Amino acid sequence: MLAARASTASRLARNFATVVDSAGVKVAAVDNGQPTSAVTFLVKAGSRYEPKPGVAHALKNFAFKSTAKRSALATVRESELYGGVLSASLSREYLALSSEFLRGDEPFFVDLISSFLTSGKYFRHEYSEYVLPVIEAESTAASLDPSVRALELAHTLAFRSGLGSSLFASPHSAVTLEDVKSYAATAFNKGNIAVLGTGIDQATLSKLVEKSLASASSSGTSSSTSPSLYFGGETRLESHSGPETVFIGFGAVGPTDPALAVLAAHLAPQASVKWSQGLSPISAGLPLGTSVQTVLLPYSDATLFGLLIQGPTAQGVKEAAKVATKALKEASSVKGEELKKAVAKAKFTAASALDARDGILNALSSNIFANAEVSIDATLASLDNVNEAAFSKAVSITKAKPTFVAVGSIQDLPYPDEVGL
Amino acid sequence: MNALGPSLAPYIRSSRTLRKWVKPVATWYADLMGYRRMGLKYDDLQVEEHDEVQRALGRLTPREAYDRAYRIKIASHRSVLHKPLPKEEWLNPAEDTRYLQPHVVDVIKENEERAAWDSMTVQRK
Repeated sequence: MLAARASTASRLARNFATVVDSAGVKVAAVDNGQPTSAVTFLVKAGSRYEPKPGVAHALKNFAFKSTAKRSALATVRESELYGGVLSASLSREYLALSSEFLRGDEPFFVDLISSFLTSGKYFRHEYSEYVLPVIEAESTAASLDPSVRALELAHTLAFRSGLGSSLFASPHSAVTLEDVKSYAATAFNKGNIAVLGTGIDQATLSKLVEKSLASASSSGTSSSTSPSLYFGGETRLESHSGPETVFIGFGAVGPTDPALAVLAAHLAPQASVKWSQGLSPISAGLPLGTSVQTVLLPYSDATLFGLLIQGPTAQGVKEAAKVATKALKEASSVKGEELKKAVAKAKFTAASALDARDGILNALSSNIFANAEVSIDATLASLDNVNEAAFSKAVSITKAKPTFVAVGSIQDLPYPDEVGL
Repeated sequence: MNALGPSLAPYIRSSRTLRKWVKPVATWYADLMGYRRMGLKYDDLQVEEHDEVQRALGRLTPREAYDRAYRIKIASHRSVLHKPLPKEEWLNPAEDTRYLQPHVVDVIKENEERAAWDSMTVQRK
């Protein structure tokens, strides 16, 4: 019994990563003894920093194409031989190039990703033959998904430039290969790159990164934009595919307040038990078939918090939006047991996110450029510190001008004043 | 044999003496072929009915593709008239560049690489 206890304690203690500077590149690794390893190169090359709309999206799709070391085909075939998985993903702030592989294959995969960062070829024919069709398909798919569209529009309304720029290339703005090349040249320098590893030893990873990124330019300036400002506003968009959608959001600038995670947990109507309604103030009044999701999107200098309301009919969505807005307004009076319950729920969400690889990477990515240490204890402690005063201060962001987006049949979907905003 | 056909050119270019002897003959012969009198470049004569060449044609810049189509159109017109272009409109030998060949070579290399990966045997060290 005692031995079992001791081993859990050591697991927990290892559940954090120290950020080490390895020849100008920030490296963080967590090894929890998983059978596979994953290495993610995080580059400050998200849509926030792009010089022209859609360039970041194009750059993301150029990942794992030809480099000075190997062709696009060889990249795929060779990593298949090792049994690894390569993926690239784009967020508003970061471009993440990830690989997952069996333990012991790290020299190959670190070299593969860093060769793209240091010596990508950006062939014109690869752009037109492989990259452009994928960009087009992804943009089309995104434009058909009302929840994605609502969030894209909400970002644009909330932050305008910078964080407001869309993750997806627009069909109305041409991105040329020269744009992509020059964006890559400015973004891919050592100050902009951080390496995150899971299931890999910190020292091993640092050594590999130091060796393979030796030729990366260290002179370039790190990507930056003017600090985010919150504006808010309202927009309505006709759409004929997918459910009727309304997004009600509020933004805040500055580092993310942990009390917002508690607010999200307090409002989230998802039930903890199957076949039940859930105990959140929203879940009781929801019309059948409609759903409400809390959205909390933390960025390095701003946060977007909101409720995404979806349903098959515009009438149902209107009802649900009224219920959700009422719950949001009444959240400032949450006290005692209610608050403790929300804190516990937020703590569980934060902790269980760190079980999965994605969660660890998310947690690390928000802190790695700030050189902060990530530990589950610190996150949980910050949630524990949320008291009534802190909570009502966080709720006060709902007094700002709301970001209201309606996607669907706009004749019937509600206006902000109709739902009580 | 690939789309470009066999060529002794690399071997001849590698030897200085051979190069010195063959170059004037080659220049004379290229001129004699007469395509320059129709306003064409050598790569316009490349046989298009190959997958490799088709792929390579897709890789031309819009400007190159337009110029190629224009030259072929002029040449077909002169062919209908049974008359080459007036001498001042002949293609200048300096402009007779291989604009398509590098793309064909790239495509062939890619196909060879794909075949190599398809038929490789894996040996774990």
